[in-house]
Amino acid sequence: MATVSVPKAHWSGRRSTLASIRLAVLTFLADPQWLIPSMIAPIVFGFVSFELFLGTPDLVVYVILGAGMMSMWGQTLYGSGWATGQDRNIGTLEPTLSAPTPYVFVVLGRILWNVVSGLIGIVLVFVVVVVATGTVPSIDNPVAFVVLFVFTMLTLAAVGTVFAAAYVYTRYAGFIQNVGEFAFYIGTGCMFPIVILPFWTNPIALLFPPSWALDALRYASIPGYVGFSWGLGWDVVGGVATTAIYLLIAGIVFKRVERHVLEVGNLQEY
Amino acid sequence: MSSVPAIEARGITRVFQSRKGFFYQDVTRTEALRGVDLTIETGEIFGLLGPNGAGKTTLTKILTTLLLPTSGTARVLGLDVTKDTERLRARIGLVLGGERGLYNRISARENLRYFADLYGIPLAEREKRVNEVLEWVGLTWAADRRTEEYSRGMKQKLHIARGILHRPEVLFLDEPTIGLDPKSARETRKLIRSLLGEGVTIFLTTHYMFEAEELCHRIGVLSRGRLAAIDTVAGLRELVGGDRTLEAEDYGFEDSELAAVRHLPGVSKVVSEEYGPVTRLTIRVRTGDLTIDTVRQSLIGHGGLQVRERRTSLEDVYLDLVEEEAR
Repeated sequence: MATVSVPKAHWSGRRSTLASIRLAVLTFLADPQWLIPSMIAPIVFGFVSFELFLGTPDLVVYVILGAGMMSMWGQTLYGSGWATGQDRNIGTLEPTLSAPTPYVFVVLGRILWNVVSGLIGIVLVFVVVVVATGTVPSIDNPVAFVVLFVFTMLTLAAVGTVFAAAYVYTRYAGFIQNVGEFAFYIGTGCMFPIVILPFWTNPIALLFPPSWALDALRYASIPGYVGFSWGLGWDVVGGVATTAIYLLIAGIVFKRVERHVLEVGNLQEY
Repeated sequence: MSSVPAIEARGITRVFQSRKGFFYQDVTRTEALRGVDLTIETGEIFGLLGPNGAGKTTLTKILTTLLLPTSGTARVLGLDVTKDTERLRARIGLVLGGERGLYNRISARENLRYFADLYGIPLAEREKRVNEVLEWVGLTWAADRRTEEYSRGMKQKLHIARGILHRPEVLFLDEPTIGLDPKSARETRKLIRSLLGEGVTIFLTTHYMFEAEELCHRIGVLSRGRLAAIDTVAGLRELVGGDRTLEAEDYGFEDSELAAVRHLPGVSKVVSEEYGPVTRLTIRVRTGDLTIDTVRQSLIGHGGLQVRERRTSLEDVYLDLVEEEAR
């Protein structure tokens, strides 16, 4: 090995996040099992949504948003947490943590990729529904729709980051996630608007940023949509506020969790 | 040589707590390390020997910032392992052996690129450095193959490649040859030895005595969480009684005969062990005065007596130290 003098290495959050995205893409491409959550599951969700909203005006938009968001949520929640769980299983958590980059950037890259790969699902549902119904949906406010769509992705990423911290904390995080997954699907309004659920569920749902963002997204895309009484504007404010809180929590939790796992020494457990 | 030791540990203890029971009410405390003091100089290959559960991996993880000590302080390259973790991680390398620890669905090259990014190796240097380490460990020919297709030995080489990718000043190798076939193990040892030429300080844990003897400048023997001894191989031999060992075997010896052997000039230690009907006296010799004939004369009357001489092995030293610690 040649001893060439090289500039001193310095980690960068941006580069580590991009490296993590690259790894996630390579893993995705290398593993056919990802076809199930990213392509097959959205179509199944689409059929369920179709049955659920049959007879509703703007059925097509409801179906696309319902099934698409289910898919994105699943990808984000499952993918971000699962990838960290996988790091435990295959023994890469220790080498990754022994690098100078804070682990949160690795998680962030994975979540961003999972959110984007969730888009594959929403596009797929769109194509299937348009072909099946012969209807091209009309969006009430296309610009607001696109902006709020990106915003919804960010709210999903914020929740995914907190979940990923749980996977670093304990090998039992998968159990907690599996138990809570369907409650999240329903409780955050992925499949259908929260307002149709009993009122007592609403305050709980509002603890999660996607609940606000999804309501805003429906306001922007479905004419005459009746969601939370405060309307689109306050949905956005609530979504921004809860997302900021989640990102803050994720930052604090990650630091504490990293310290905690060094204290208890459970990094190698799987 | 730098004035700051490469590794310095003082009074390191580590207690693990595990909980069992339905309500996790049963708490078990295990003392993995009990006051370890250690100084390793720059450019040294230091070997840490010890039986399973002695605390080797625990100490390695503490020194590489992957575990916090319960008490005590440790500095690597002058940096506190509990406080300066980010700066320290950029300057040290860790090689954990085994089948795990790699992204198996992607190629070796992609594995290395990923870690090069996490270590912040300048982008302009990345490909050169990846190719360099792949060539160094002899994996260029398989660089673009998925690591799931790699043999155990190839994976181990890739672990080492990843460990040195960012040119660490101190490299920690935790049982790097465990489970390898003799050829792969030899190649791995060759790689480790050649790192010395690069000025890397090496901290090596191993079960294999010959490996430690072949590679290491100094050896520490860790037993039950305590450093039983730390010295050069020659120093350790002295510590347990000398460089020469005589072995006398026959069907039983009287206590008086044992006492007579113990009092022979130059004898530092006599251990008696039963092997079925045969008793073996292991006689550690401190000086060159004692010969096989002298031993024979002191055990006269034993028709089937066999006496042979050999060099005190590191294994003898290790077993003596571990047994003493256990007592």
